[in-house]
Amino acid sequence: MFVFKLFPDYAKEEKWLNEMAKKGFSLEKVTLGYHFRAAEPEDACIRIDFRYFKDPAEYINYCTMFEDSGWKHIAGSQHTGVQYFKRMPEAQNDDIFSDFESRAQRYIRAFRIWVYFALFVLFFMVVLLSTGSVDFRALIDPRFFYLTPGLWEKTGPSFWKAFWFETPFAMFRAGLLYFYPVSILIYLFIAAKARFLYGRAKKEPAE
Amino acid sequence: MNRNKNLPLSEINFYILLAVSEPAHGYLIMQKVEELSRGEVRVAAGTLYGAIENLLKARFIVPVDGDDNRRKVYSLTEEGRQIVQMDIERMKLMISQAENCLQERKG
Repeated sequence: MFVFKLFPDYAKEEKWLNEMAKKGFSLEKVTLGYHFRAAEPEDACIRIDFRYFKDPAEYINYCTMFEDSGWKHIAGSQHTGVQYFKRMPEAQNDDIFSDFESRAQRYIRAFRIWVYFALFVLFFMVVLLSTGSVDFRALIDPRFFYLTPGLWEKTGPSFWKAFWFETPFAMFRAGLLYFYPVSILIYLFIAAKARFLYGRAKKEPAE
Repeated sequence: MNRNKNLPLSEINFYILLAVSEPAHGYLIMQKVEELSRGEVRVAAGTLYGAIENLLKARFIVPVDGDDNRRKVYSLTEEGRQIVQMDIERMKLMISQAENCLQERKG
């Protein structure tokens, strides 16, 4: 079964995954959403960390450290960031963190990634605008999406011909112009949310 | 007095540094920390991983060659040894002052 859901809050995500396990949905992998397979309903304990790795050997070292101490790595990969661990019977604790600060730190690592994403898109937006392929004034007046010289002075069939010819290109430019600021705003929103959750997690014990 | 900014060491970091006085990998460090602290300090995998990362950055420990390619082995550096020594001095002073003060009150 596939479920699409987004969780900025890892504590809520852990709780939801444990509820799913209780209903007999065992987490198989996470790519653009959650993939479950039917299993015996169980009282699972799934915990989430946020880390990505440049070095594959370091990623293996990380997973091995968890597996040695009784936490099976069930989903996540070297570059995805969110890592899912399931408690095995031999685990000593019921959490992968033993203090509030380190549990909260996962939100800071996620926060940095979202800020990098926002800066990355901002960089491309600046490049795009500096080459002059999109006119900023189009945000106020959509006519600036059309670059045909003298288009708006034309009349009758010659206007319509030129207008319809350029419309797909104008829409593409409009997409670019709106896509960049909107995605920057979304990334910054998620980053702000992660930063807020960090502040809260530092003070509060996890469930 | 200009004190090293890494002092005082947290209890977890202190025990991790003691644990790697002989080279050890992650899970072995966890077991040694528990043993050294007589069960008082139990460090979970996610917390230990973050602590190791910080100690590597501070150069108090280094990865050393091991024959296991799934587990990295860490070892205490000279800087690591020094910081532990400085923390011991700090705690010795605290303990002797505490004993003095509490003794005087009693008598």
